[in-house]
Amino acid sequence: MISVEKLTILTNGAKYDVSCSSSGSSRKNQGGIGNGAAAGCCHSFTPDGRCVSLLKILLSNDCIFHCKYCLNQASADVPRATATPDEICELVIDFYKRNYIEGLFLSSAVYISPNHTMEQLLLTVKKLRTEYGFHGYVHVKGIPGADETLVRETARYADRMSYNIELPSEQSLKLLAPQKSKESLLVPMKRLTHEASVFRAEKRKGHFLPAGQTTQMIVGASPEKDGQILRLSQSLYRANGLKRVYYSSYMPVVHHSLLPDTPGGALREHRLYQADWLLRFYGFNVEEIVPEGENLATEYDPKCAWALRNMHLFPIEVNRAPLEMLLRVPGIGAKSAYKITEARRYTSLTFEHLKKMRVVLKRARHFITASGKFFGTENENVVRGLLAAGETAMSATQLSLFNDLQIAQRETQFLLHSNAETARSALIGEL
Amino acid sequence: MIYCYDGSENGFLTAFLLAYSDTDAVLVSGQFQLPFGQEAVTVKTDIERAKNVRNRLLSFDGQCMNELKTLLRCANPMRDNATFDYFKLIATKKRPVRTMLAEDVVILAKDLIWKVKHELEQFRGFVRFMESASGALYAPISPDHDICDLLACHFRARFPQFPFVIHDVKRKKSAVYDGKNIFEAPLENAEVVLSADETAWQELWKNYFEHVNIVPRERLKQQRAYLPVRYRKFMPEFH
Repeated sequence: MISVEKLTILTNGAKYDVSCSSSGSSRKNQGGIGNGAAAGCCHSFTPDGRCVSLLKILLSNDCIFHCKYCLNQASADVPRATATPDEICELVIDFYKRNYIEGLFLSSAVYISPNHTMEQLLLTVKKLRTEYGFHGYVHVKGIPGADETLVRETARYADRMSYNIELPSEQSLKLLAPQKSKESLLVPMKRLTHEASVFRAEKRKGHFLPAGQTTQMIVGASPEKDGQILRLSQSLYRANGLKRVYYSSYMPVVHHSLLPDTPGGALREHRLYQADWLLRFYGFNVEEIVPEGENLATEYDPKCAWALRNMHLFPIEVNRAPLEMLLRVPGIGAKSAYKITEARRYTSLTFEHLKKMRVVLKRARHFITASGKFFGTENENVVRGLLAAGETAMSATQLSLFNDLQIAQRETQFLLHSNAETARSALIGEL
Repeated sequence: MIYCYDGSENGFLTAFLLAYSDTDAVLVSGQFQLPFGQEAVTVKTDIERAKNVRNRLLSFDGQCMNELKTLLRCANPMRDNATFDYFKLIATKKRPVRTMLAEDVVILAKDLIWKVKHELEQFRGFVRFMESASGALYAPISPDHDICDLLACHFRARFPQFPFVIHDVKRKKSAVYDGKNIFEAPLENAEVVLSADETAWQELWKNYFEHVNIVPRERLKQQRAYLPVRYRKFMPEFH
């Protein structure tokens, strides 16, 4: 059994990786333990609101790379540990048996050399699949700079692999992760996509990344704008066939002069995910969402912002509008759009119907008519104001006079050119 | 008229036949309070009649019996009448009605079905097994709806070599997998002798759970929304 100290170190090193889904693979149980759930499965939820689906762990945190943003970089003063493949396999089997986890998410710091690390990762998954007979979900991180034969072999055993891009431009990579290059990340990604399609076309036996590839980007550590990030995501989805791009709002866990001291903020991350969904499920192009050198609007969601820029297309009649157009109405998602297209085959839908069907009308009412009736506001500026107000009303909270900690966190929002002292006195009314 | 049936599928179908032409029929199963001035009949399950009704309904909608099975697992008090109204709509329209999503009857029935299926989906993740000294796995649960045997099917596909017991503490029943078959059995209290390593693995899991959390990003409301407190009773990471 792995020791508690080792598990703690290796968990702490892996927890900032945001990819956690266990979906996309429906691997069958072939006489061992485990199978894949195509829709994924969440086993628990931590107090930060994230799901625990896979056992997220590093094989080692003893890194030779100097990525400035990383907790485990070579020069960091942190306790180091390396687990053996058997320790990991045992842990996975016993956690899986008790239904604590859905599978394994295996990552590693680059220790000794990229090839050695990849070899150890391969050894672990191979052991898990063959010796321990595990057929559950396995996600393995690709190590940049590792030999392609090792990566290809790993792909035969894993369900999903991912190379983390981390920083969305070449300049930032050079600055903050000097040992990684654009090529060392994108080339293996492309190669795996190509090999997977060949594998499927030839109908070979076995598996080759049934759940595809994903990647992750840190947002807010480098100066790239949302427009640039989303253009990269779109090309990853469309040209490289990635299943998912994760965005991780930057958290200052390491202090360095090249890195900002403030966190990236959850709202920016949220808006990026909303835009990402528009790209993948709503038929949007990134050009429609945001220009290259700009950030997404914070006061509205990206679909709302698009609709407000294109008011000439609205309002649309829910009883006649095609599905593609329904999906573009703010507040109507895939579920509501499906409900509308099904229900309108039997009856002419009114606002009463929509309300009953739980189509969210708070935003949508300004953009639709139902059986010819319109319940929104026609003046564009008023709509703008209403929608923005709706968003802030949700996040507004009562300020506390007595809780210094809260004020200290919040004062940065009110700070323009004043210092912390004046901001605090302004807040508690001393000015 | 109030029609009281036993909560089984055949019972429902028999009651359905009797209540079909009654304009103010109310279906109940289990315990209920008789409203003033109402008359109640106890429906005796008749397998022959139920079979006829089933065949007739299946001729209108080939999948409706799956929905009936799911609806009868629901613990919501509206279940009996919602099911009755839904099947009455199928019988009057003589066709599948599940896509008539603007009909109140369909909306309610779909909601109840979703509740059961969603809980089943959640419990596939939330069940926690303990290893007993004999190597068999034991998991106590207290779900809102009656989903214990459906969970057993899921876990049999996962690890067919381990016998296990899923114990619904609320309904005092269990689904048992003996290595070959799944069967249901009433179970009041279970005494389990844990295996030697069990506590150590639980501690390891708790340690993992504690450290995978990012402390400055606390979002307890979100955690509660995804994992309601009532489901945490048998999860070691919350104790």
